[in-house]
Amino acid sequence: MNYVERDATRSLAEALPRSRGRVTDIAARGEPYTWALGGALALGIVMIVGFLILVLYNGATTFIPKPIAVMTLADGAVVAGEPFRSESYRPGTAVLEKLAPETRARIAANDGYASRTLYRIGNYDIYNEDFRWVSDFEVARILYPADLIYAERLEWGPFIGRLKSVHVGGAAREAASIPEAELVRLHGEARARWQRLRGIERSEIGAVNHQIERERLAVRKAEIAHGAGSAEARQRAAEAATRIAGLQKEYDGLATEARRLREEDRAVRVTLAAIGGEEKELPLSALVRFYPANAISLTGKAGIYLSRWWEFLSDEPREANTEGGVMPAIFGTFAMTLLLVIAVTPFGVITALYLREYARQGRLVSVIRISVNNLAGVPSIVYGVFGLGFFAYVLGGSIDQLFYPERLPNPTFGTGGLLWASLTLALLTVPVVIVATEEALAAVPRSMREGSLACGASKWQTIRNIVLPRAMPGIMTGIILAMARGAGEVAPLMLVGVVKLAPELPVDGFFPFVHLERSFMHLGFHIFDVGFQSRNSEAGKPMVFVTTVLLVGLIFLMNISAIAIRNRLKRKFAGSQF
Amino acid sequence: MKIHALLLAAASSMALITAAGAQTLDPALADYKPVSGVSGNLKSIGSDTLNNLMTLWAEGFQSQYPNVKIEIEGKGSSTAPPALIAGTAQFGPMSRPMKAAEIDQFEKKFGYKPSAIRGAVDALAVFVHKDNPIKCMSMQQVDAVFSRTRKGGTDRDIATWGDLGLTGEWASRPISLYGRNSASGTYGYFKEVALFNGDFKDSVKEQPGSSAVVQGVASDKFAIGYSGIGYKTADVRAVPLSAKPGEKCAEATAEMAYAGEYPLARFLYIYVNISPTQKLDPLRGEFIKFIYSKQGQQGVLKDGYFPITKAIADEDLSAKGLMN
Repeated sequence: MNYVERDATRSLAEALPRSRGRVTDIAARGEPYTWALGGALALGIVMIVGFLILVLYNGATTFIPKPIAVMTLADGAVVAGEPFRSESYRPGTAVLEKLAPETRARIAANDGYASRTLYRIGNYDIYNEDFRWVSDFEVARILYPADLIYAERLEWGPFIGRLKSVHVGGAAREAASIPEAELVRLHGEARARWQRLRGIERSEIGAVNHQIERERLAVRKAEIAHGAGSAEARQRAAEAATRIAGLQKEYDGLATEARRLREEDRAVRVTLAAIGGEEKELPLSALVRFYPANAISLTGKAGIYLSRWWEFLSDEPREANTEGGVMPAIFGTFAMTLLLVIAVTPFGVITALYLREYARQGRLVSVIRISVNNLAGVPSIVYGVFGLGFFAYVLGGSIDQLFYPERLPNPTFGTGGLLWASLTLALLTVPVVIVATEEALAAVPRSMREGSLACGASKWQTIRNIVLPRAMPGIMTGIILAMARGAGEVAPLMLVGVVKLAPELPVDGFFPFVHLERSFMHLGFHIFDVGFQSRNSEAGKPMVFVTTVLLVGLIFLMNISAIAIRNRLKRKFAGSQF
Repeated sequence: MKIHALLLAAASSMALITAAGAQTLDPALADYKPVSGVSGNLKSIGSDTLNNLMTLWAEGFQSQYPNVKIEIEGKGSSTAPPALIAGTAQFGPMSRPMKAAEIDQFEKKFGYKPSAIRGAVDALAVFVHKDNPIKCMSMQQVDAVFSRTRKGGTDRDIATWGDLGLTGEWASRPISLYGRNSASGTYGYFKEVALFNGDFKDSVKEQPGSSAVVQGVASDKFAIGYSGIGYKTADVRAVPLSAKPGEKCAEATAEMAYAGEYPLARFLYIYVNISPTQKLDPLRGEFIKFIYSKQGQQGVLKDGYFPITKAIADEDLSAKGLMN
């Protein structure tokens, strides 16, 4: 600011009333607004980052093995458990009255506050509860004995106690006398046998059962086509009977083999003893993993941490979804998003192409455009209702009548399923793709179209060879947005095919291999289910965090790969421009 | 009440509870024996109270019949009858008996009534925060806490913990109410039995799931809420209840439920479309048998509910022609 200017300002300021002094100056330059905007942005970022850190921290620490504390309480009871969380509270008068005077004085000195810890005590089949609060003043002594084990079981949740004996080959042996290496080997063998047993039951017996079911359906189909009791139906029934007899023999063979394995499996048993002395005997294979929680090395801890993650990612859920893995849900989320992209892309791009390139711009087209934009604002649950009513009941119902009458009243396509869920979400996200594609088409320079047309190309050739390739990155952006929106949506899915339990993947070894009519599991719904519907909401909470980490990760991964594809496309066409 | 009489009859014949407090099964229940040729798809739509139990049964059944596919959807008991009528589900788990109107609709479509399976016994619990010192509540008090119509006959509203006789810091604190949404059978049952068909207060915070109610009560020290006993966690406590003021209060235990002492005990039902003229297909028939078997009832224990007895199992199985 030079001298003359400052002088002028001063004279102006003197001329005006005093209240419009420096404050007005700053306001006029817009500084407070810039600061406010910057602050708001920072707040937004801090909240997002904070949320992600919270989820990541809780998700990442869930699977870390914790030590087991054994507490002798003042009344002589012994409690063993993993510490879960602590809090401070004010014990009620009824509780305080029962305490020793010195304890009461200590609590009073602390403003009436005492602290307590929630322990996961496991052994649900013995205690009928999985968690227990223990107040600090109740505890007489805390120990961390090295021989306590934490065993994850196939049923009934974890067991906390001691490994008492192992029964192999008809003889019981004290667990203490078995070297660790042998125990690990025995457990490995038992698990392998159990996996083989499950393999026989699932795939081999499963295949036989599947064929028997097909024969039954074929008979039913013949009955529907020719009338029950007709010659054709009777002939088909006789054929089916001979085939089923053959299959039955095959089944019996497999069942005997399975029974043999099962007996072998049951012959290797362990006896576990809870801290209070209650014993449980179960097959060794029913222990998913077990470890001496207080005597485990750092590498051992890391191994358990990783194996828990691996189980979570690759296994099926157990115990009403609160344990085991979420593989079907990962697959379901992924398959649905993929189908959604396959369905939404052609629809969105073709609509946008027509609207932008062919349609005469007039009132009708603007009305359509406004409608498309409005469509993006319709609540997603409305799409769910539409999907259920139109896709599942009307469309699917008619498909069932036409192609699967033998299966009625059991619906095939006439209920929610992967296909209908994907189509419903495609409807939900199609406005995003249309708008993005239109923008991308509009951004292709007019000169390039004119150049192409001048060289004698037809309109379609111009669109195909000049316009579309250059609009591709923009179209991809639209698809990425649609994908992100679709993968995170849960409300409409609950109506059109997402279920709590559907361990059967939509892809398997039976003709026609891809079963789009099947219901499926979804990570978003899994979070809702484990968080709000599971029996033991305390045990469910950490699983909610882990599943959230997974869902966020999956969407992130899908977006990253879509962005990578878009960048490749951009580079490709950037080079060919001049 | 009818259910209490039945439960009483069933319980008087056998001792079901061990001294340790862990519930055990009726030893007379049959072991489940798998048969061959069972495969196909099953779908269950209905109660969310029964959601986990259906899942546990499904897991157990699938371990017997690996190629059976079972899908489970639980959005509330009221979703079961339409699904059975439309044929979109084979099983309709419900935490309350079907209403006459629902049975009529079913009958109009098929010409016969749906069959009910009594799969488990639930004690609906009134939960409070673990630090809450309240000892006992009568059903009339429960009504006055939750209802604005107070059909139970109490003359004044109960709005604070002081009204329930608590002292100290509790006396002046208002009671914060948690409950289920109206699609749920738990909501319907509670309205019928605990509210004597009255209306809920507007201040009841309706939750989307039974465990959401428990979590609500766990995080709010002055809260009260109701849901199935199976959802109890270490953070909440079930209040002992008495049917009439001044009577002895009964804990929400299996013992009390069987004896008919606990006023909010109920059966959990699974409804099935069984035609009286046609033979039941093996898939559904075996699933029903599985529910009544030792293995099936073990699932009930696992989910925190109370198992049924052999007497009830036999009664239901013979009614469906499944005894052999």
